[in-house]
Amino acid sequence: MSDVGAAPVVGALPRGLDPAQVARARFRRTLLGTPVALIGAVLVGIVLVVAVTAPVLAPYSPVAQIAKPLLPPGTTHMLGTDEFGRDELSRLIWGARVSLYVGGLAVLIALGLGATAGVLAGFFGGWVDDVIMRIMDVVLSLPALVLAIAITSVLGPTLTNAMLAIGLVYAPTFARVARGPTLTVVRVPYIEAARSIGASSWRIIARHVLPNVAAPILVQMTVSFSTAILTEAALSFLGLGTQPPTASWGLMLSAARQYMLIDPWIAVLPGFAIALTVLGFNLLGDGLRDLLDPRMRAL
Amino acid sequence: MRYLARRAVWTVVALLGVSVLIFLLVRLLPGNIVDIIAGTEGQLGREQRAAILREFGLDKPLVVQYFLWLGNMLQGNFGWSFRTSQPVAVLIASRLPITIELALLSVLSVAFVGIPLGVAASVSRSMRVRTLVQVVGVLGLSLPNFWVAVLLIIGASSLFGWLPALIYVTPWADPWVNIQQMFLPVLSLALGLSAVVVRMTRSSMLEVLGQDFIRVARAKGLATRAILLRHALRNALVPIVTVLGLQTGFLLGGVVITEQIFGLPGLGWTLLNGVYQRDYPVVQGTVMVFAVTFVLVNLLVDLLYTYLDPRIRYE
Repeated sequence: MSDVGAAPVVGALPRGLDPAQVARARFRRTLLGTPVALIGAVLVGIVLVVAVTAPVLAPYSPVAQIAKPLLPPGTTHMLGTDEFGRDELSRLIWGARVSLYVGGLAVLIALGLGATAGVLAGFFGGWVDDVIMRIMDVVLSLPALVLAIAITSVLGPTLTNAMLAIGLVYAPTFARVARGPTLTVVRVPYIEAARSIGASSWRIIARHVLPNVAAPILVQMTVSFSTAILTEAALSFLGLGTQPPTASWGLMLSAARQYMLIDPWIAVLPGFAIALTVLGFNLLGDGLRDLLDPRMRAL
Repeated sequence: MRYLARRAVWTVVALLGVSVLIFLLVRLLPGNIVDIIAGTEGQLGREQRAAILREFGLDKPLVVQYFLWLGNMLQGNFGWSFRTSQPVAVLIASRLPITIELALLSVLSVAFVGIPLGVAASVSRSMRVRTLVQVVGVLGLSLPNFWVAVLLIIGASSLFGWLPALIYVTPWADPWVNIQQMFLPVLSLALGLSAVVVRMTRSSMLEVLGQDFIRVARAKGLATRAILLRHALRNALVPIVTVLGLQTGFLLGGVVITEQIFGLPGLGWTLLNGVYQRDYPVVQGTVMVFAVTFVLVNLLVDLLYTYLDPRIRYE
């Protein structure tokens, strides 16, 4: 471990600098200075741009059956066609949308449920803490994918339900991440001071607790984004997520399985797209963690 | 001891919570459960419906149903499949060994490949090894194991013209065929996990190697090999075991997909078939077994700590 803590770096800066400026400088140095985080940011950026500009970027419609099935990569269809004669490249491009959309909303659901529960548990303590965290432990007693499969099987296999299932499954992680710093902050004198001048619990949470929880939550969001995308792909792969004919990477990979020995392309490409996206978020998450929490520095 | 007792009690409580969760989940089913059981929609008379509800005990209040279900489960009765009328417990008992074989082989390969590689990487302090290990570790987390499985199948068939037999053979019937069948699935599960373990082993080893007692060992002239294995690795094991324990969830999830891809009729395969056929007793039973396994493995990991590092004493 060659940890160079963030503190001495800041301390070495000339005095009289605006703290915001220092923070920004440190942010730039850490995030863009380490190649790992930079690669992550670039990958995530590319996927984001592709997802947003899909209607312009995709040469064909993702669902139109316009050519012979299982064409190899060529000039009219850059990456060939799938088993229904749909343009593979266009489907990959539109698939980015599905992945980010499902991943994003799932993370927001997990964040909304989990972080709220975690902050409340840490702030109020006592039986509130016990009840909330025990419920979270129950959810954590099941392997995530198994629970997600069970939930989607009951709710019905649709995109929305997959999103909901992923959100529910990963909520406890956010609860734990949010509870820790809350517990620490609550014991700090300035909270007592705030209480003694009559600030309400909600005001204290909003003004003093949330800012302290924000950094670890941000890291967790980035990392969870990658897990959520992987889980969506897995559910769709199993036929429990996105339904045909929507272009989703997991679904494309699953459909390609039947033809993988005749036409390996259509099995390799969607997985590659998933891997690159997930890799991007993981690298970015590692970088953010180094930046925001030097103690948890990935080695 | 007191810690152990508390931990055991909590394990039971968590599993009870899981059972309530699974029970309620299945009761939330959209659509009428009678139609799902009978596989028909709207063709049954009122009396036939009532008869089915009675037969499956679904006419009783929810709380009574839950305790009946739980009581039966504790006696080894997981109910009967909606589709084949086979006892779910028998079904699970016949599938479980396959999953256990797959999971154990994967964990063993990870331990015997990942840990030695991590130790080897810890000897070098070069930036290149560090970056390599870091990259491999992140890749292991990022590559979807179902994609790795598909790539392995494509690779094995196009490079070696080889594919394992499709019908599962038990190790007792034909160990050689069985090992061939397990090879690719285990590889697809172990690759990702090993990458993570290599990374953790290296960093944990480096931390230990920087400590004073290692310098003492070196100074008194111990062989590097003895220092690495007897002194350093022993002390570095706790975080490595933690990571392995944390990965159990991924492993159990991965098992579901891997069994599906390679046609291994294990527990995950049974769960998915239950889901596809809306055979809810089977789904409930298999999910419950997954939860028990997961919770027990976590308990085991906790207990392993005190063995690996006697300084850890639970209060």
